[in-house]
Amino acid sequence: MTDDDALVDFHEADARPPTAAVVASLAAAGVASTAGAVAGPAGGALLGVAALAFLVGSFRRSSRVLGWGAAVGVGGLALAGYRGAPAEALLVAAVGLTVAWDIADHGVGLGEQVGRGARVRRNVAVHAGASLLVGALAAALVYGVTLAVGGGQPVAALALLLAGGIALISALR
Amino acid sequence: MSGSRDAAVAPEAAGAGESEASDAGESLTNDLGEPETDDATAAELSDAAAAEPTETPTDREHRREVATDRWLGIAGAALSLVGLGVLVRQSSLVLAGAVGVGYAVYARAGEAPTATLAVTRSVSDAAPEPGDEVRVTVRAENVGERALPDLRLVDGVPPGLAVVDGPARVATALRPGTAVTFEYTVRGARGDHDWEPLTAITRDAAGARERVSDLDAPTAIACTPELSAGGDLPLRGLTTVHHGRVSTDVGGAGVEFHATREYRRGDPLKRVDWNRRARTGELSTVELREERSATVVLLVDARESAYVAADPDAETAVEASVAAAGQAFSALLDGGDRVGVAALSPLDCWLAPGSGTVHAARGRETLATDPALAPTPSDERFYRSLWLRRFRRRLPADAQVLFFTPLVDDTAATLARRIDAHGHLVTVLSPDPTATGTAGERLVALERRQRLRTLRSAGIRALEWGDDSFPVAVAAATRRWSR
Repeated sequence: MTDDDALVDFHEADARPPTAAVVASLAAAGVASTAGAVAGPAGGALLGVAALAFLVGSFRRSSRVLGWGAAVGVGGLALAGYRGAPAEALLVAAVGLTVAWDIADHGVGLGEQVGRGARVRRNVAVHAGASLLVGALAAALVYGVTLAVGGGQPVAALALLLAGGIALISALR
Repeated sequence: MSGSRDAAVAPEAAGAGESEASDAGESLTNDLGEPETDDATAAELSDAAAAEPTETPTDREHRREVATDRWLGIAGAALSLVGLGVLVRQSSLVLAGAVGVGYAVYARAGEAPTATLAVTRSVSDAAPEPGDEVRVTVRAENVGERALPDLRLVDGVPPGLAVVDGPARVATALRPGTAVTFEYTVRGARGDHDWEPLTAITRDAAGARERVSDLDAPTAIACTPELSAGGDLPLRGLTTVHHGRVSTDVGGAGVEFHATREYRRGDPLKRVDWNRRARTGELSTVELREERSATVVLLVDARESAYVAADPDAETAVEASVAAAGQAFSALLDGGDRVGVAALSPLDCWLAPGSGTVHAARGRETLATDPALAPTPSDERFYRSLWLRRFRRRLPADAQVLFFTPLVDDTAATLARRIDAHGHLVTVLSPDPTATGTAGERLVALERRQRLRTLRSAGIRALEWGDDSFPVAVAAATRRWSR
């Protein structure tokens, strides 16, 4: 942003994402990176890169950069999982990564439509809360199911269980 | 929908727990604890009065519903994690992928809710002076059945008004029955200003689908400046037959010496040149300049090209022209001349020359609020020859023209010369909108100066004013103008 900002109508010029969204996104990305570091150092590093990309994308108001950041984060998850990370840490990292991307992208949209100067806290809080809730529910569900069926099942069985779940959901809708 | 300010804010106090109102102090009397009984009933009454209209949602025009494609690729990413997990036999990857599938389901499940909102907009002053700050309060209540998890409101501020405090926008989430209130301040500018519809953008919780609608909450303010009389404006020698203030080249009764001529029978005795009679024995009569009134049409250049200013915050040349025309209008009217108003604009604007107090009021109204002289340009196309034909048909034969134009293109200069050539003496009064920062700006200033020079060499009076006020420029120019 340049010095011209003072001259033009302030909120029209300031299309940066609101501070609340950037801060919330960074917090979630921090949680994801920490969980990733616990799961595996290489994966954690990639998740850290993703967090950085979210920050850059927020400042450059670019959903594309945010998308690339999310892709790098997914790569980090895959790497950590491949190296045999514990399921708990990987679940937390996955939820954190998704929430961080979601809020950052939401913030960019808000910046475009209402600008940085407007009152947005409630909106960001509701969006972040809903996103976190969905992630937590999904993680709790899959983790609960794994515990319930016992740890020793083959991986293919888990995948088939998931496929069954997806088929069930799409049939119900 | 346009309840008083009190009534519009009253339900806020009742639902204050839910609402996101930033300043509860705006609720005025209604939330000052428990006042005495008659106050309480008054509050209840206003509550009831306000509750009635807020039940009905504001008329809305659905614009579009689109998929935002935010979550595009989430299912693919999730399933590739699952696939990788199966390949490398890592159950944790399958679990992480399952979480992604959960998000994919979340993104597909929602649907953008309809913005069923009751919108009231109130302004602190419906008839401000130019430059006054007007506080605008917008309240939107969710009167629908469904919650709005993501609601963005963008108010349709009239293009002629500048928002000086607080953006006219808000983003929030509203459960049924709750309301959001936001305030902003606009600076009054000359003219009639109608608010455009409020734009409401709703999204589902995941933000995967978005619906845009326009909510119509009509509000208007009218800003009519007082006309202050400027200095004495020198007119050119085209006059009516009526007595007035403009000295003419016609000999007769008057104050200022004009010529002497041979005595004719019936000439008043006091105009006989007795000195000459004593010196030479001839009878001769002194002629004085007759003072007559003029018919003047104030023509304001309000084409799109005239909406220029030296910097983005400065007032446009049209504003400066209209302000100067207002001063000229009252000054000329006070001097006994007949004054009319016209605009060089795609929109039709014509106030026939006249005099009297009713005409003064009408002129003030025209200059302040005529759409052709609005603070922002109109979108219509301007046809020069059509306009000139109509203008000439309307113009009284003895009318002279005061042409207010920034002279930033050749059309204005050509028109001035053509009107002048048709016998309506033209005086060009030009606010200077040029700057001298860059080479391009200096070039434009040079071109404009050249146009002024051409006009002057064609015998048209031209006067420009920049930072100094219009009356000062007039006084300075008058000294060098001959009659």
